Amino acid sequence: MTGGQSLQRREWDGEAVLFNDLSGATHLLSPVALWLLERLEAAPDDLPGLGAALDAELAAEAAGDGAADADTDTDIAADRERLAELLGDLHALDLIEPC
Amino acid sequence: MLTVSSLTPAQLRARLSGPGLDFQTGPFVNRLHSNIPHLAAGLALLYADYPLIDAGGFADFHLDLSQPGGIRRWWRPQVRFEQDGKFPFKPLPVAQAQPFCEWMMNWCVSNRAHGYLIIHAAVVEKNGRAIILPAPPGSGKSTLCAALVCRGWRLLSDELTLVRHADGMLAPLPRPVSLKNRSIEVIRAFAPDAVFGALVHGTMKGTVGLLRPPAASIGRAGEAATPHAIVFPQWEEGAPATLEPLARARMFMQVADNAFNYTLLGARGFATLAALAERSAGYTFRYSKLDDAMEVFDGLVGEAR
Repeated sequence: MTGGQSLQRREWDGEAVLFNDLSGATHLLSPVALWLLERLEAAPDDLPGLGAALDAELAAEAAGDGAADADTDTDIAADRERLAELLGDLHALDLIEPC
Repeated sequence: MLTVSSLTPAQLRARLSGPGLDFQTGPFVNRLHSNIPHLAAGLALLYADYPLIDAGGFADFHLDLSQPGGIRRWWRPQVRFEQDGKFPFKPLPVAQAQPFCEWMMNWCVSNRAHGYLIIHAAVVEKNGRAIILPAPPGSGKSTLCAALVCRGWRLLSDELTLVRHADGMLAPLPRPVSLKNRSIEVIRAFAPDAVFGALVHGTMKGTVGLLRPPAASIGRAGEAATPHAIVFPQWEEGAPATLEPLARARMFMQVADNAFNYTLLGARGFATLAALAERSAGYTFRYSKLDDAMEVFDGLVGEAR
């Protein structure tokens, strides 16, 4: 996470609004972006680590829905590419930074 | 309580050209100076029911809308706005003094009253439930607001929604409703008893007609209202009245885009707007017929509490 910032958020129906007191900006975040940000708030991580955590989160949700086999044909490389893009977006918003 | 209507035309002009006309609009006291006779006449009509404040006390806003002297008083006569010794805007033709006065009163609030979150939105109330109508110019916001007010809704404002930080309640600021161009005839046909000030042609917004607000709304200007819904209206030729839910987080962002001082307020603005979004349902609303719109809005607030 970018140092020195204090983030306030409100979440409704999966989407969230987030206020960053350092930049003064307010952002609309998708559920995945919010999940990612909260994950990074807890501890820094890299792309493989975040990818594995996201897989585990999705698998747990699918199991809860009785659809554990639904993701068997997932294109992992494309999935990781999307995740990297999302990290790039959060970096562009100055919410996270490389460590 | 004395109102502006208690002054004779001569007394009103004497105040305007002397110590200033002190009158209350919502939470604010305005002190207005002017040497323009037709502005005095317009104020006598449109502000008749507003509380008159004793001269010389505290005033939130000091406004001076006067004609400069010299030959300009006779050749290309203009009105200029002065505040605290400064002239922040270019003068306008003197015929536009009344709408200029309204714009400057709005400007004072939107630039100074940061004790509120200020949204560029109309706000009306019925049955204890207030509906906020944020929208850019041309969306039909003021027309819809005027129609609702002419059908008995309480006017809080047609332009500036004031959200109190402490409790999220809406502070009324009822003032004349500014209608433009075709909307003037639309409201005259919809509500033949509606009272307008003199029409002013050729402004930067076209022809402007100021609708006198109901005395009942002015009388309740000290009574804050509870937010109930935020509706983004859009007038569209031939469109059936259609109300569609708007996701709360997206509603938040759209309201922030329509707020004058959201960015300036920082974390405080976020907290106030989040609390407003929490307690207000969000909708987009397309319509073409005012009667259909009245039905939809009556349905939104339901029966009296």
